[in-house]
Order: sequence, then C-alpha cells, then structure tokens
Amino acid sequence: MSRSRLADALLSGYMALFLVYLFAPLAVMSLAAFNAYPYPSVTQWRGFTLEWFSALVHDARILRGLLNSFMVAAGVVALSIPLGLAGALVLTRLSSRFGGLLYGALVSPVLTPGIIIAISTLVFWRPLGVGGGLFLATIAQSTFIASYAMLMFMARLQRQDRSLEEAALDLGASPLLVFRRITLPFLMPSIGAATLIAVLQSIENYNTTVFTIGSEWTLVTEIGARFRFGLTPVINVIGVIFVVITVATALTWSALKRRRPHTA
Amino acid sequence: MTARPLGDIPPIGLGAAPAATPRRRRPSAGIGGFATFRRAYGGGIAALALLLCAFWLVVMIVLPQAMMLEQSLWSRQSAGDVSLRIDRAYTEIDLLRFDLQAAPAAEKPAMEEKVAALEAEIATLEAQEKEPPKVYGLQNYTRMSGLHFYIFVKTILYALLVTLLSLVVCYPVAYMIAHVAKPAKAAVLLLCLTVPYAINELLRVYAWLMILDYQGVINGFLQTIGLVSFEQKTWIPFLESPAAVFVAMVYAYVLFMVFPILNALQTLDRNQIEAAQDLGASTPRTHWRVIIPHAKPGIAVGCIMTFMLSVGSYSVPQIMTRGLSGDWFSQLVYRQFFVSNDWNVGAAYSFALLIVCIVFIFAVMRLFGVGIRDIAK
Repeated sequence: MSRSRLADALLSGYMALFLVYLFAPLAVMSLAAFNAYPYPSVTQWRGFTLEWFSALVHDARILRGLLNSFMVAAGVVALSIPLGLAGALVLTRLSSRFGGLLYGALVSPVLTPGIIIAISTLVFWRPLGVGGGLFLATIAQSTFIASYAMLMFMARLQRQDRSLEEAALDLGASPLLVFRRITLPFLMPSIGAATLIAVLQSIENYNTTVFTIGSEWTLVTEIGARFRFGLTPVINVIGVIFVVITVATALTWSALKRRRPHTA
Repeated sequence: MTARPLGDIPPIGLGAAPAATPRRRRPSAGIGGFATFRRAYGGGIAALALLLCAFWLVVMIVLPQAMMLEQSLWSRQSAGDVSLRIDRAYTEIDLLRFDLQAAPAAEKPAMEEKVAALEAEIATLEAQEKEPPKVYGLQNYTRMSGLHFYIFVKTILYALLVTLLSLVVCYPVAYMIAHVAKPAKAAVLLLCLTVPYAINELLRVYAWLMILDYQGVINGFLQTIGLVSFEQKTWIPFLESPAAVFVAMVYAYVLFMVFPILNALQTLDRNQIEAAQDLGASTPRTHWRVIIPHAKPGIAVGCIMTFMLSVGSYSVPQIMTRGLSGDWFSQLVYRQFFVSNDWNVGAAYSFALLIVCIVFIFAVMRLFGVGIRDIAK
C-alpha cells in the first residue's frame, strides 16, 4: 500500500511542477505590465505603474484591431454555425454510402494547419478579384471553425431520441414545424456553446488570419506585428486583461456548475 | 447544457463527445437516403442543408485546395534573355533605318520587310515579357534550395519532437486528473489547465520571450548569482538558438495533448484498473496493457493536433525570432507569398506541408489502429 502512496505523492509532485510550468510564464508576463521600464521586463524593475493601462486605452490601432476582431468574429458565427449545422444534419440523418468520405472531407479543416487553409483561400479568391482583408479572414476562419461547430452538433444529434420527432410527424406536424419546435430547441444548448467557441476561436486566431488579413489588422495580428516593431508593456497589459477575463469566466463557470450540477 | 466541464469544449471538443451509440446505417444508396432525410425535415430544410453543405465542401474546402495544387504546378517562364533580345531588335531596327536612307532603291523593299519582321518580333517578345507563358511541371518542388529543404526537414523533425515530448509530459497529467485525483480536486485541476489554454497563443509564447530574452528572467537570475553581466552584455543569447522556438512551442501546444487523452481516459472504468492490479499486474504493466490501449484514440488525436499545430505554426517562430530570421518552414511560406511575391513557389511549399500532415495523420491512425471517426469524435 505504501508503494502506491509513494507513487501518488510522486504524481502529485509532478502535477505541481506541471502547474508551475504552466503558470510561471504567465505570472512573469503579467508582472511586467506594471513595470515603469519602457521595454517589457521584470529584471529591470523601475517601480510600479499603471501608465501602460492608460496607454492601451489611447492606442488607436489596438482599439481598431479589437473592433475588427469583433467584426470578423460576427461574420464567422453567421457563416460557420449554419454550415456546421447543415453538415451535422446531413451526416447524421442522411444515410448514404458517401457518408464516410463526406465526413472526412468536412472534418479535414480541423486537421489541416491554419496557414494552409489561409493560403488555399487566398489562392482561390484572387482570380475573383478578392484580396486579403477582413472578408477573406472571415471566410478562411469559418472553413475550420464550421468543422468544430459541426462536431459539437453531431455529438448532440447522436444523443437525440428520434421517437419525439417521429411522434410529431405521425401526429401530423409538418417537417418544418418538427424542425422548428423539436430539433432546433434540442440543439439550442449546442448552438450556444458552438457560438461561444466560434467567437473565442475567431478572436484568438493568428496563423490563419495573418495570411489572409491583407493590409487590415485584427487585435491579434496587431499584437503579432508589435513583436517586430514597438514592443512595449502595452502588450503585457493586454495579456493581463486576457488572464483576468479567462480566470473570471472559469470561476463563474465552475460556481454556476456547483450551484446547478445537473444543468450547467 | 450537458454536464461537461469547460475544458471539454474548446478545440478538443474534437474528443469531447462521449461515444454515443453508433448511428444506424442503412445500406441504402444516396437517393433512398435523401428521401428519408426529406421526410424527416421537409424539402426546404433538407435542400438548404444540402446546399450549405455543398457550398462549404466545394467553395471553401475542395476548390481552394485544388487551386493551391494547380498554382504550385506551374511557373511563369522566367525569360531572363527576353528583354535583351528586345533591346537587340530595337538596335537592329535603328541600324536598318539608318542604312535605308543611303541604300539603293532596289534593296529598299527587302530592308523594309526586315524592319517589319523585327517589329513583329518585338511585339511578341514584349507580350512575353509582360505575361510570360505558364510552364507546367514540378519545378516549384524540385527547385527547393538546399537551405529551404534543410529548414523543411528540420521543421518536421522539431514538430515530431514537440509531439513526442508533449505526449510524455501530458500522459501522467491526464491520468492523474482522470483516475487518481478525487473528483473535487480533479475539477480544480481541470480548471487550472483550462486557464492557460484559453489565453491567446501569442501571449503564451510571449511569456517565454520575456523569460529567455537577453535581459530576461533566466539571464537576470544568472546575473544575480554573478555568472553574467547586463552591462558587459555577457548574457546568454537563448533567443538566437532554435531551441528557444522549440521550448516555447512545447509550452504553447502542450495542452492540446492533455485534453484528448483526458477525454479518452475518463471513459475507462476504474474497475478495470483495479482488476488488473488485483490479478497481480505491476503499475507499468497495468498502464501498458489496460490504460494506454484504452487511451489510444485520445493519444492519436493529441498527437495529430500537436503535430499539426507545431509543423504549421507561424506564430511561435515569428515571436521568438521577432520576425528577424526565417527559421521555420511556415515563415518561408509567408516570405514566398508576401516578400518574394512568388505565389507558385509559396503554394508548392504549402502543399508539401499539407502532404506531410496527411502522411502523419495516416501513420498515426495506422500505428494506433484507429479510424477517422474515432479521431474526430
């Protein structure tokens, strides 16, 4: 028994190390946001300051990038949720010998590096006279975000009790009514979750966006550009904000789940 | 909502769904299938779903990839001597015109004919100079320079190494959360993993830039113990080594390995582990014969995601090298498109990368004996 307790202790120690590995870099990054030194650093400590927070608020390019990010995310939701839903319906309900092939094709964007999706989108739209910009970034992101949405919808549809739909049909409801009153409400939680994931994925995306954004920019591509020119602790401030939002969301989520363990 | 932890939902939503009952597949062909489909949802929705599906498949997935392939298979003939030939023709015409003035009348028509022929030649040459003819072939692939090929191979090897290291690091973590920790503790641990995972990839990598920088945390520590000095610039240039990219990449993508394995392990019945132990299996043997085989689909997904993300990563090398050097294949691709403006070579490089990923996916599926449906569950 003591041997397994030793193993457990080792495992716990390993886990603790792993968590330090995960969080220490984030702590370093966050700390530098409050350093008065104009280049992001924790080793050159020049005193506590909040000036980088006010610099962020007055940074027009960052704010514009944020707005662009939201616009792209809205477009991605509008495009990828219907596409994902259509894909999931076709794959779960339409039995066909091509099902396996279609499934592989629609899932493939998830397994393809983002830069390849971006490049193929770029190459496809250029002859049509559409160059890099917010529109192409939206299209390229939707290509693979729709696959994530589809997988989430499929997981839910496979758990659905079909007898409800069949009963409604037998009782004379039109297929449209069945879809609107039974299938769609059943899918609603997944639609909500998929929308959230789509927004997060879209805003966070860099590899696909940087190839398709042209001369425009989103928050994340602007951050990427700053590494080359003009790296200041403003970037760290954005990092702090990301950390705070993420932690707050995670805590709220777990609190909600604790309160309503069966519904959250 | 279903009772799923937050961590399940993001990208690795791939592995999120617990295995539902396999869908009933009727051995019917396409048409009969559509009739059932239409009966269930009505003609309008069925047609709309098919239309959207077709749009996604054709306009967003298949055609772009096909066009990328097509673009990679030709190049404009780089006619270096065309402008020279045009110049020469112009000189010749000028000479002929000069000679024409003094030439005997009998020779004039022949000379004028020559001038006209030269002018026609110039016109075709100039058209060629403006729009060189497409030449199809594999030249964009075969002409990859030694340096580019070296970077290509290096990128693949590094990505494999990142994948392997992530697997080794993550397996105990996933196992602990799934089977060792008590439920309450497991929930907290899961939350702890979700937080860095949800933070932007760029910012996560940036944290490492600050640690490895010339005046970063490690050099700062070395200065404190007197090994280096910032004033004399005797710091250790971690960032100039490709290992910096490697370290940051493991950090950036490690969690894409944890969640799939975790999802797979959570479906393993604890009784199986206990049965193995009761029957006298040692801990390594229990893992090797019971736990790892059960985790196979999760390991496969984790490996595929991690490899795919690292081999195609543009952000990590871009940040760690601050865009000052092109150490990673993705940066070469970017340069082909936006610096050299050679889309044909860029498309070829990109397609080569795609082939590598496809080969890797099939190799992993083969190795772990899992199918595509297990992978993207």
